[in-house]
Amino acid sequence: MSEVRLAAEPRTEFGKGAARRTRRAGKIPAVLYGHGSDPKHVALPALEFARVMRNHGTNTVLALELGSDTELALTKTVVTHPLRNYIEHVDLLLVRRGELVTVDVSVAVTGTAASGTMITQEATEIQVEADALNIPDGFEVSVEGAAVGTQILASSVQLPAGVTLVTDPEALLVNVVAAPSAAQMEAAVDAEGAGVVEDAPETES
Amino acid sequence: MLIPRKVKHRKQHHPSRSGAAKGGTKVVFGEFGIQALEPAYVTNRQIESARIAITRHIRRGGKVWINIFPDRPLTKKPAETRMGSGKGSPEYWVANVKPGRVMFEMNYPNEATAREALRRAIHKLPMKCRIVTREGGEF
Repeated sequence: MSEVRLAAEPRTEFGKGAARRTRRAGKIPAVLYGHGSDPKHVALPALEFARVMRNHGTNTVLALELGSDTELALTKTVVTHPLRNYIEHVDLLLVRRGELVTVDVSVAVTGTAASGTMITQEATEIQVEADALNIPDGFEVSVEGAAVGTQILASSVQLPAGVTLVTDPEALLVNVVAAPSAAQMEAAVDAEGAGVVEDAPETES
Repeated sequence: MLIPRKVKHRKQHHPSRSGAAKGGTKVVFGEFGIQALEPAYVTNRQIESARIAITRHIRRGGKVWINIFPDRPLTKKPAETRMGSGKGSPEYWVANVKPGRVMFEMNYPNEATAREALRRAIHKLPMKCRIVTREGGEF
């Protein structure tokens, strides 16, 4: 994945009032740190950053143009509003060319399992170590024709050259189980008749 | 129905209804979910009713997760009782749900059927809700 250029500007005022003013101006407050340097507070263009995340994913390497300097950064945390889905704040991690970074990469399930089965995806991401400028977009695992009892572990994901698995190789990604019957689903919650017992109040001595 | 096995205090104050959900705002277990858009107390009867609405619609071949638990008691005085004489007895068990909280999640191969099942479940809940997906709605 190549880098995406994005214009950023330094922030000089801080706090929630300033952050809200930044957001009203169509920008996202962000912080840039890493490699032992002092954190830099920046503002990113909201629409462009959201477009980059949507089209290229969260593991995109950003080439941030801060005045005359250009810094390479990887998004570490993206905070979104729980209801309105706009980006509230971004943490950016400084990276260098050729540096190995540990990132979470998504795993997609493809294919159709055998009839009478249910696929449960236990993990949607695996952690890998890769070159900062060659992070894979995503991995695919196939469950085509998989029977009941099939388990796909993290170690069975095909990794490209230069990418190593950080997640436990025995971690379960996909489990193919028998589809529950209507009666089993109906009786899923079995708490009928559970009594409530109050703990004895603590006595002060 | 869901009910706590043991509580520290049988009669509690009403839980706070202000603010938004601090966590549990994304679909993490299944593919689809029901997200609350308003604050509400969801009783254990409503949770069970919504769960039954989902399971009866999809019949088989899916999985349902309930992400909320009714751990707060609400008390009520008996009808035609004069005021005073202490606090009433516990009547309901509720989950204190804040806006943004994903309350139910489900997995089902057919998206249209899953959405219809969740739509039916939303009718059993006391607040405005919307259907959210794991991938959709981000950024």
